[in-house]
Amino acid sequence: MAKKILVAVLRTSRAVQSKESMGLKIITIMKQVPLPTEMRMGADGLMDRTKAKSSINADCTFGLEQGLQIKKHVPDAELIVVSMGPTSFEQSLKKALAMGYDRAVLLSDRKLGGSDTFATGYAIASLLKKLGFSKDSKEPFIIFSGRQTTDGDTAHVPSQTAENLGIPQATFVEKVEYKGDHLKVRRIIEGGYQVLKVPIPCLISIAPTATPARRPSLKGAIRARSTKTEIWSLDQTGADASVVGLSGSPTLVSKVVDIQKNRPAVNMISGHEPKDLADTLVAEIEKIKDSMGGAHGGHEESDQKNDAVAAKADVDFPRVDFRKDARGVLTWIEMHGDTPARSSLEILNPARKLADQLKTQVTAVITGHNIKGVAAEIIAYGADEVVVVDDPRLKEYRILPLAAVLTQWMEHKRPEIALFGATTSGRELAPRIASRVHAGVTADCTSLRIGEYAHRMKKTIFYPVLESIRPTYGESKLATIIGFWCPQMATARSGTFKILPKDLSRKGTVREFTPTFRDSDFCVEVLETKREAGGGDNLFVADIIISGGRPAGDHDDFKLIKDLVQALQERGINADWGASRHAVDNGYAPYARQIGQTGKTVRPKLYIAVAISGAIQHLAGMKESGKIIAINQDPQAAIFRHADFGIVRDYREVLPELIAKVKAGFTFGLAAGK
Amino acid sequence: MSKSEVIHTDILIVGGGVAGLATAIHLADLMAAGNPQEAGAALPWKILVLEKGSSIGSHTLSGAVINPAILKELLPEVDPKDYPFESPVTKDDVYFLTPKHALRAPFTPPFMGNHGNSVVSLGKMTRWLAEIAEKKGVQIYSGFSVSEMLYENGHVVGARTIDTGVDKHGKPMDNFQAGDEIRAKITVLAEGPRGSLTRALCRKLKLDEKSNPQVYSTGVKELWDLPEGTFAAGRVMHTLGYPFEFNHFGGGFVYGLNGRQVVVGIAAGLDYVDPTFDSHAALQIYKTHPMIAKILAKGKLLRYGAKTIPEGGLYSLPQLYHDGVMIVGDSAGFLSMPSLKGVHLAIESGMMAAKTALEALQKNDFSSKQLSLYATLFEKSAAFNTLSKTRNFRAGFGYGMILGVFHFAMQILTGGRGITPSGRMKTHEDAACYKALADVQKPFCKKFAKELVFDKQLTFDKVTDVYFSGSKHDEEQPCHLRVLDFELCRNVCIPKFGGPCQYFCPAEVYEIVTDPKTGKKDLHLHPANCVHCKTCDIKDPFGNIEWAVPYGGDGPEYENL
Repeated sequence: MAKKILVAVLRTSRAVQSKESMGLKIITIMKQVPLPTEMRMGADGLMDRTKAKSSINADCTFGLEQGLQIKKHVPDAELIVVSMGPTSFEQSLKKALAMGYDRAVLLSDRKLGGSDTFATGYAIASLLKKLGFSKDSKEPFIIFSGRQTTDGDTAHVPSQTAENLGIPQATFVEKVEYKGDHLKVRRIIEGGYQVLKVPIPCLISIAPTATPARRPSLKGAIRARSTKTEIWSLDQTGADASVVGLSGSPTLVSKVVDIQKNRPAVNMISGHEPKDLADTLVAEIEKIKDSMGGAHGGHEESDQKNDAVAAKADVDFPRVDFRKDARGVLTWIEMHGDTPARSSLEILNPARKLADQLKTQVTAVITGHNIKGVAAEIIAYGADEVVVVDDPRLKEYRILPLAAVLTQWMEHKRPEIALFGATTSGRELAPRIASRVHAGVTADCTSLRIGEYAHRMKKTIFYPVLESIRPTYGESKLATIIGFWCPQMATARSGTFKILPKDLSRKGTVREFTPTFRDSDFCVEVLETKREAGGGDNLFVADIIISGGRPAGDHDDFKLIKDLVQALQERGINADWGASRHAVDNGYAPYARQIGQTGKTVRPKLYIAVAISGAIQHLAGMKESGKIIAINQDPQAAIFRHADFGIVRDYREVLPELIAKVKAGFTFGLAAGK
Repeated sequence: MSKSEVIHTDILIVGGGVAGLATAIHLADLMAAGNPQEAGAALPWKILVLEKGSSIGSHTLSGAVINPAILKELLPEVDPKDYPFESPVTKDDVYFLTPKHALRAPFTPPFMGNHGNSVVSLGKMTRWLAEIAEKKGVQIYSGFSVSEMLYENGHVVGARTIDTGVDKHGKPMDNFQAGDEIRAKITVLAEGPRGSLTRALCRKLKLDEKSNPQVYSTGVKELWDLPEGTFAAGRVMHTLGYPFEFNHFGGGFVYGLNGRQVVVGIAAGLDYVDPTFDSHAALQIYKTHPMIAKILAKGKLLRYGAKTIPEGGLYSLPQLYHDGVMIVGDSAGFLSMPSLKGVHLAIESGMMAAKTALEALQKNDFSSKQLSLYATLFEKSAAFNTLSKTRNFRAGFGYGMILGVFHFAMQILTGGRGITPSGRMKTHEDAACYKALADVQKPFCKKFAKELVFDKQLTFDKVTDVYFSGSKHDEEQPCHLRVLDFELCRNVCIPKFGGPCQYFCPAEVYEIVTDPKTGKKDLHLHPANCVHCKTCDIKDPFGNIEWAVPYGGDGPEYENL
């Protein structure tokens, strides 16, 4: 008897131990991508990977480092790096080994060529299952990944891999603490962050604001050279070959066009005294005044143009309505506290347009607690039907219960189209749902329209197809993505679509829906949610944005920047101010004013970057601005390569001159507006 | 993981340039020859080559016109038609330039003839040599900086790679990665000109005590793409004169490579007196000379780079060896100035070091005495002969071009003797040559103020050129340009010399800024611009700047330079 108890105790203690550290496996999934300068595409619209020089995808290096950071706390953890792609990816896997990974596994099979994110998530999950990692695994494991890739920019694969494995996830994470049986992570959300308690096993995608990757050690590099990469074929993973590759993917690239907006080389303003610089700048802006007054640098204009030229098939195949019984446009309304998220109101615009074209309805699902009052507002912004899912457990956004709600609704109602705002929530939720309902999803779209598609192999014209159009390959191309599975899913980039005018006379129906949840849907706990009030939404519509980097905070706490904004506002210009991540990190500005990849993407008519170096992450948030003026002391600053006008000088000398000019009536060629 | 175990090798070669790779290849061949096993068998002793550039060749920059004969010696098994050469020299001219005109020299000055030589891209050649070396069993790792030598009882016992993941103040960050200790029986320094380890070694062990001070030039060059038929592959053009003053040793060159590319560059002796001389600016001015501008008229800039050239010759060589260590190639100063060639001497020195290393390994004796074989071999070598004939060449030009030509003529007649009782002429430390700014009648920066407006077609400002060097550095690391005393800059150097660092650096690492309120001048550094040329380490008037290695993989990305 005593012996039995002892064994039982031993067993439990071992179990606890194993849960906490023993045998912990850390898997990082990683992709090799062409260097941004090397991106080119084959005739089929897919990436031509044969000639380009490649490296580890930038975000993935943060994922790799996070694994190594955990290993500091769990020294006997095994680190495994996993990738999918051609054998040339071995080069990057070796680098991961050199950084300190123990094992490298590559899923490489020609059958996988042309896989979209749905198929990729499935294939990687199949491999991981075969390696012993799934929700049923006895041994604890953590999967890390990068946030997104530079060649795809979807951020889908982490979500879709987690869904296929059936494990919880947290994406856009910038801080991870290992707590034995769970992780405490800080996840970026619009205007702030969320602190989550995520049980192990789980998948965490790491944002590029986390710890940067270490350099490989020489010892590591020597070890890497003698470590063999394990290469797996698709068959070995036991995956179903019919749902991978080009033919198995629910989305396909139907068209790719270059974005014609090569910013001409920067015009460096020269002059010895700050006043000369200001005079010259004013004179140069006078010269291009006409092009300053134009529309925002965004895609709205092209959006309308696109509508006019939606693809018409030019062949004479039989026409097939592929939707079967699926009808209607679904959108998800994300609540930020008591108010709907701006991006959720924005997507009602394309949803309305598409529904009108398809002669169907817009259904908006609102999730949260005590939110019924919001329904009328959603109707006023364009919905025909509002579905209220009210549950105290839904007060804070969590992906698993939300996925359950929306999946059940979709299975119940079979919408043909489902749209999400491309917030950090929408961008992880949509792909997870897509994997669950076997649908294709397109990330971060800037234009959505209905067209038709002549499938030459199937000799069929499919209609009415949702054409999801999105910038890709580092914003150098516009790709049109389509699929013939319903629902056709897409996330829409924040700030791209205008919110429709609020029309309180619009009529619509409101109904309630009660989904069934499993306990495991609530396994992730929200420990803290922090969202800055104010939201900085004016940044999406401001004509002039003046942003400051950390030095602008160090020197005068953004005073000169704010003074210039005020001077412009006094002239009737809608001007506002933003900040770089460094400035926000240092407390000079609230997160809501952060411009960049992890902040807001803005497209004002004029963007003035003050003491901003021009890190890629910042450029991503402002490079589509109409005109860009960069003021920086460092002539090497990358920002100058993305600006129309450059001034190499301490901003403290230049801004007072510009403020004086504005006070004297100079408005950067813009007319005082509404 | 934090506590580093030691990496063991028999031979550690620091630097994957021509000299280091030649050492590795020849040593591997000698080992294989003495160990008749089937091909592909592991070498009996380990050879490890470390290169700080992100890949082999990414920090390699050279003229380069080379004599193919030396490759036959290094790689007897390789068919010369497989050499990665651009083109044999097809036309070889020397011009004398005045501001507006060009006079072709009726004959090629002695030692400058390039008949039978080939134009190469040294970067391409090193990549090719690295592939060969790896096939022969040499272990090559690029992207690793070696920051320190390891000594035990005065013997060199290896070296250590740099710590990474350290912030600007030297504090380890979350991604800290400790450097690795490498233990080697012999460490071969092949760092290129003004190697940071070589310099520390020579200082510590007083290896250059008896030598003339090493004197340098800075070579600055651009690679251009020209319309077909503008400048033939294999055409070699050297120029003297404009924009150099008569008292300044320097010249320009244009070489035709394959594929419509040409390199245009200047080499400027660093023993100049004018603190405002700027080699990058000099190249820009050079390109505006009608003869050069015409060549480049319809071209496009592709790449930019700079590197120093050790020109002191025979009398500036340090002692080439010590316990457990040997110095090869440009690090030692193996370069024959009048013919502007260092590649063949680098290879020759590497081969001699390899012979020495093999014997030392066989006898298991790595003492200074055993390694002195390297010096003995050198004294009997063709390299010695070459260097000996021109041993006073550069010293003779220490007094300017006119006296220099006179000295050189005398040296040719006497077989290299200098006109001093001992036959050995002195050189002066480049850093000591400056005149105070007030004593320079027409400073370079003023004289050419008009020309120094860059049109971004033919001429480019420094920062733009730096962009074309592809240089990048991790921002999070201690500054690798160590200014020893900022007060000295502020209080002495800037007032007296006007801050020569802002001029001599061809990559705008050093900026003199004026405080708008007080009007006080100060030095600001932009280490991320650095192209690893080492001019600052040489030409600072007070020796106040020490060039140290940044993280491995940082620095320029040279291609075809």
